Amino acid sequence: MVTKDAMMNIDPKSQRRPSMWAPVLIGLGTAALAGGFAGYNQAAVEHGDAALAPWVGPLVAIAIGGIALALYVRRHADWFRSWSPRKRLYWISLTLSGALGFVAAMVMQSGPQGSDGLFSNAAMTPTVAIALSAMSVIGLAIALVLYHRTVDDHERHAYHLGALAGFYAFVFPCPVWWVLWRADLAPPVEAMPLFGLSLVANMIVYFWFKFR
Amino acid sequence: MNNQLKVLRAMRNWSQAELADRLDVSRQAVNAIETGKYDPSLPLAFKLARLFGMRIEEIFDDGHEGRHDEH
Repeated sequence: MVTKDAMMNIDPKSQRRPSMWAPVLIGLGTAALAGGFAGYNQAAVEHGDAALAPWVGPLVAIAIGGIALALYVRRHADWFRSWSPRKRLYWISLTLSGALGFVAAMVMQSGPQGSDGLFSNAAMTPTVAIALSAMSVIGLAIALVLYHRTVDDHERHAYHLGALAGFYAFVFPCPVWWVLWRADLAPPVEAMPLFGLSLVANMIVYFWFKFR
Repeated sequence: MNNQLKVLRAMRNWSQAELADRLDVSRQAVNAIETGKYDPSLPLAFKLARLFGMRIEEIFDDGHEGRHDEH
């Protein structure tokens, strides 16, 4: 029996799903292009030449990647139009989050400190620091609002369990590290390793419950 | 919780992706419900019931069918 709800949906069989290789290749190409800029900057610094500003490479790469992605979406417009508004906003939020993370990582990687830039504590210019902070707070907030408004039941469940795991991955080691440091048994507590541990725990549990 | 989702879907010759599109959820959600790894929320259970034109308890079985609380 086909109900009104079912009839209101466009028959999925009438839509041809485009190849998913193209967006994957666009993503890889964008990363490779940004990596090329980072490599150029590193080589320039090593030779004593002036490097490009750290944000130039990532922004050029993301702009070209964005254009390529827009062309791909335009070419398969019928397929994307068949998506529900929820699904469209969901993928927009994921793409926005990915782009923000990509730009932030590449800007840090393109700094003068070299290949350890991503996880380095090296000095950063105030302009880059303020731009990255603003991008993280504003961009991530927008992406997360979109995400939480559009995520489905099952993924929300996986997200909540992942968030809980991330919380515990911070709550357990942080005070232990702190008291060990007070007894001179450990180096001073640092935020970024705890942040990284929390994120990894979050991702493992989230992906497990989402895709198992 | 056991459910008839896979059978009902097969009777209509729908793929998991097609059912997911009709419910406006991800394919992973349909798969997780079918395999009993995830129990849907009440709104999603109602949506499923409406889609198949059945009652929720005809699709899902919590193993207490026919049993009534005795007070």
